[in-house]
Amino acid sequence: MLRYLLKRSLIALVTLWIIVTITFLLMITVPGSPFSDERSSNETIQANLEAHYNLDEPYHVQYLIYMKNIAMLDLGPSIKQPNQTVNDLLGRGFPISFELGMVTIIVAVISGIVFGIISALRHNGIIDYLSMGFAVLGISIPNFILATLFIQKLAVDWAMFPVATWSSPAHMVLPVAALATGPMAIIARLTRSTMLEVLTQDYIKMAKAKGLSPWKITFKHALRNALMPVVTIMGTLLAGILTGTFVIEQIFAIPGMGKYFVESINQRDYPVIMGTTVFYSAFLIFMLFLVDIVYGIIDPRIKLHKKGGE
Amino acid sequence: MKKFLIFLLAIVTVGVLSACTTGEDAGEPADETETESPEEGVEEEAEEGVEEASGEKVLRLNNSIEPTSLDPSIGFDAVSWDPLNNLMEGLTRLDEDHVAGPGVAEDWDISDDGLTYTFYLRQEANWSNGDPVVAEDFVFAWKYMLNPETGSPAAFLGYFIEGAEAYNAGEGSADDVGVTAVDDKTLEVTLEAPTGFFLDVLTNPAFFPINHQVAEENPDWHTEADTFVANGPFLLESWDHDVEMVFAKNPEYWDAGAVQLDKVHFAMVNDTNTQYQMFESGELDTASIPPELSDQLIDGDNVFIGPYGGLEFYRLNVTAEPFQNKKIRQAFSYAVNRDDIAQYIVKNGVEPAYGFISPGFTSPTGEDFRDVNGDLVSYDPELAQQLLAEGMAEEGYDELPDITLSYNTSDTNKAVAEALQDMFLESLGVEVSIENQEWGVFVEAQQNLELQLSRSSFINDYNDPVNFLESFITDSYMNRTGFSSAEYDELIEKGKSEVDPETRWEYLYEAEKMLADEMIAIPIRYYNTVVLEAEGVSGILRHPVGYFDLKYADKQ
Repeated sequence: MLRYLLKRSLIALVTLWIIVTITFLLMITVPGSPFSDERSSNETIQANLEAHYNLDEPYHVQYLIYMKNIAMLDLGPSIKQPNQTVNDLLGRGFPISFELGMVTIIVAVISGIVFGIISALRHNGIIDYLSMGFAVLGISIPNFILATLFIQKLAVDWAMFPVATWSSPAHMVLPVAALATGPMAIIARLTRSTMLEVLTQDYIKMAKAKGLSPWKITFKHALRNALMPVVTIMGTLLAGILTGTFVIEQIFAIPGMGKYFVESINQRDYPVIMGTTVFYSAFLIFMLFLVDIVYGIIDPRIKLHKKGGE
Repeated sequence: MKKFLIFLLAIVTVGVLSACTTGEDAGEPADETETESPEEGVEEEAEEGVEEASGEKVLRLNNSIEPTSLDPSIGFDAVSWDPLNNLMEGLTRLDEDHVAGPGVAEDWDISDDGLTYTFYLRQEANWSNGDPVVAEDFVFAWKYMLNPETGSPAAFLGYFIEGAEAYNAGEGSADDVGVTAVDDKTLEVTLEAPTGFFLDVLTNPAFFPINHQVAEENPDWHTEADTFVANGPFLLESWDHDVEMVFAKNPEYWDAGAVQLDKVHFAMVNDTNTQYQMFESGELDTASIPPELSDQLIDGDNVFIGPYGGLEFYRLNVTAEPFQNKKIRQAFSYAVNRDDIAQYIVKNGVEPAYGFISPGFTSPTGEDFRDVNGDLVSYDPELAQQLLAEGMAEEGYDELPDITLSYNTSDTNKAVAEALQDMFLESLGVEVSIENQEWGVFVEAQQNLELQLSRSSFINDYNDPVNFLESFITDSYMNRTGFSSAEYDELIEKGKSEVDPETRWEYLYEAEKMLADEMIAIPIRYYNTVVLEAEGVSGILRHPVGYFDLKYADKQ
């Protein structure tokens, strides 16, 4: 196990280094400058700004400076928020995105699995059709449309919840609802289809024949096997949702980190582009690693160290 | 066995969750935010309760995003300078008529040659920490802005001061910059050349003072609410980054009696629909109009529409065929129906532009620049066709070279570009292809004169027509057309330094006419300010050029 861990960490580091280098190369090949605003300026000002952020150095020097800083976990200053470092921005934004994402995931997983099971058990019944119809809607309606709809109906027209911002549990309801619907629908459909498959297997018939209660059959025998595909998609789903979603955070004015992914690129805020990329990559790698471990636990047939090679 | 496995699964799930949470709690900034946000909510609710009880006047505005910086030299944009304009005050302040009046300086003398300004600071002008505002605070702030190492994007505004440009370019020294503190309350400024609009330039937040004692001790004084020192109508009570700023009335402000509001909340909501919905539900007192709702809302009683010193225009690259020919350039300008673009495409109450300088610039004789110089361009398809034919003959074209119209990606820009494409086809019979580019890519291509016909915009930094007109002097960084004319350069030079105000404006009228005749930029429409204001809100000063002022704002 230790050997496996070491090996995975090493691969993770190399992957991160490749990602950083490719991002850096892409960044310098994209035309544009962080200082090209729609405002007056002149050559002196531009030169001073570039010197201030070391952008006047040759690329290989910039790359070395960056690699040195990143090795010390210092992601550098933000160009567009000159009083903040990228560490500040992520340190402030990530916990909020994480909080929103965690609640969303919990809501989505629990309700998704419950819907999935019910649909599978009531296969071709009214509940099945209803919840699967609902799931199709959930998958196909983009979350920003749901968000606007929720705000207009629940916040403006019926004044049940605050419109936006992020300060109390009540503020959480609408963004979580908008964000959870999609993943919930995906999980529900996935659970349903695998449940249906598992329920026709011999060992389930065996369990029925033995006279076990339907409750026990469902949760103890069927569900655990049906969960594998759900666990598989959880890794990417978690990394995506926990690091913030640009659109939902923008609509609900949630001060998470989602906006930095998009805005830093538009603004050519190089340190923030690098910082968000590194952070997201590291987080995604970690999540996929966790998923692999969880596999081994749910299904003992999957052996980690064997997969790791011997 | 299976029970055990489920148990294990549960343990791991809990473990993963708590591991993540611990990891994030361990980081200090994370920790801070975690504990801060719930507290903030509670605090706010408590506050609101008090407000209601004591009848405090609280205005709720939206700043859309976190200010870039509240350092007056760094935050060179509206999201920074709008709030800053209410926290601080320069030597002069724009009054209700949008003219520079006394601010921290209660009076000033201007030497006969127009080069030396002596400002007398108010005895009662204090910082929010009780320190007096002294002349040294201005000297410190301006030299800090001009220091090349500061990297201030606004530093060029200081180039009117003697020695400033050299210092900013790293060629001179701070000691040679023409600003000195004669005594605590007297400041002397020497200019490079007479500048008739210098008092107006000084209203710009770039020229705000910095409490030099505070800044020398803590260079990051402007990054948090508890270290921020203000000298304006309001002080910074709290600042929850990316979430909200709260301003409170500044008791140390010399004119505190004139300030009506007790508090101002600046939310940071960057979605036009959301901020409108917050306005609808009473969570904001002002809001902008989402484009989709423009037709419905623009004529309402609660809408403020005012000019905003800015122009949307299209640059013609005189180094690229076929726009090296003046008549062809003029033909394209005459082909544009600006009324239609303003009324049906951009909407939101904008005015079509028949000149370059937007309305709202008052001449020394009290007239509006635009009224005096009149309409310099028009929509005239016949003349356009005639000019095109003449131009093509001059260049020996049987067929016009391919023309591409470029704009930076945005819904409005796209709509305008398509309308223009249509108009060129209809009025001139010329098929123009259109192309959009991402902002950074677009600006670089425009700067390098790689585009033939490209969208542009200008927003004034100070209240004088020369601000825009100066863009087109030879080799100016803002030129981006390849245009160069000794005659025009001279007009601008005189338009900047002529001492007699009326003569100076004559040069500017002349320069604008020349620009229209050379037609290196096709004016499309002027910008405007459109704001929804809740009932009971009054007195917010919105200047055509400059940043909004809440000093006299009130809320019933």
